[in-house]
Amino acid sequence: MYEAVHAHPAGESTVARLAATAARLGYSGLVIRTRSASNGTDLAAVGDEYGIDVVAGAEIDAADPSAASGSVGNFRPDFTVLSVRGGSNALNRFAVESDRVDVLSAPMADRGDVNHVLVKAAVDHGVAIEFDLGPVLRSTGGRRVQALSDLRKLREIVDHYDAPYVVSATAASHLELRAPRELRAVGEVIGFDADAIDEGLHAWKRIADRNRHRLSESFVEPGVRRGRYADVECSDGDAGIEDDDAEIRDDDGIGDDDGIGDDDGTADLGPEVGE
Amino acid sequence: MKHLPKHLRPRWRYLGVGIETWPGASIGRRDFQRAIWYAAGNLLGDPGSADADLSVLSFTHDEAAGEGEAVVRVRRGHVSPARAAIACIATIEDEQVGVSVRGVSGTVRACEERYMGRAGRPAEQRHVAFEGADRPAVVRGDAVDVSAESGHVGATRLDLE
Repeated sequence: MYEAVHAHPAGESTVARLAATAARLGYSGLVIRTRSASNGTDLAAVGDEYGIDVVAGAEIDAADPSAASGSVGNFRPDFTVLSVRGGSNALNRFAVESDRVDVLSAPMADRGDVNHVLVKAAVDHGVAIEFDLGPVLRSTGGRRVQALSDLRKLREIVDHYDAPYVVSATAASHLELRAPRELRAVGEVIGFDADAIDEGLHAWKRIADRNRHRLSESFVEPGVRRGRYADVECSDGDAGIEDDDAEIRDDDGIGDDDGIGDDDGTADLGPEVGE
Repeated sequence: MKHLPKHLRPRWRYLGVGIETWPGASIGRRDFQRAIWYAAGNLLGDPGSADADLSVLSFTHDEAAGEGEAVVRVRRGHVSPARAAIACIATIEDEQVGVSVRGVSGTVRACEERYMGRAGRPAEQRHVAFEGADRPAVVRGDAVDVSAESGHVGATRLDLE
């Protein structure tokens, strides 16, 4: 299971500390949302040290869609997981309608709202909607009640359209991280299926795997890979046959101009990544 | 009052809970107990909180190191809501805390043997080179809590220059 965090300087703990804590809590991967931390840290070295997969990510926190759009163009080639922080209706709409965005995070924060139109767009463009458990874990009183009712609304719409989603505690320090079992327990109390929380934590991994594949040099477009046929078979070994299935499935992506994020929903990517 | 026959006594489970704070945060047993009750009351409501019947049996917290652990008793069959309530403890006495349930046991003794005793790595106060400056820090095993201008920064030995 993967979790996505804000790291120092945006958060209070460095990537290494977050990775060490996440590994201890039972996560197998960690997506870094802070651009400067993703850039400024040797993620592979940290991952090797603590036995956890550290994924370079960036979260775009822009004031309006045009600024966000520029950032998406700039950061997409360099970061495995790209999320847009929602909040205003315009930003939410921008995020769910962008093929190149992976995750719309905190869509209900700051009085943001989501409706059936946006969720349908998210399904069409393969943008995962984030269930942010942070306010449930860390706020109290009226704010928490508001966060809970927002989560419920979001859950009902996402459920109905079977939209891709991710779950996160949006930790900004190692103290704010919670173990997957704890998140599952909290999810059950506030009305999620226990499996839904697991699924949301696994979804980060699927997004990371898919984008790593797409950002790899051998990838040309869905269904097309560079290299000689024999090489592919040799290097993949037994998995070669399954891989071919995945490639065929990916063909529905043809017709979109860019290779990244233009999938028919993360939920359909099972065979490609396996778990 | 005469105590209950064995088949009518409540059955318990014991949670081994790990606690982490910034160094210098002082948390007592009573503070932790109160935080648990409030968390359970807020998340599970009064009925749920009464069902889980959470109480802190043993508690240690090393202020200098910012590390502690506790055994928390919960009624059998209510472990999952109890886990959720404990996960919702974010601050105790305005100090940020990280909590994690290390495991669940059927007896206090098993809980202590299996899940307690991990705290208590000696903490050492010294200056470290972090982000191009010499800063005071508390070093505890691999973990390094650095005092920066903006407050604490959680780091590890990998981050030191």
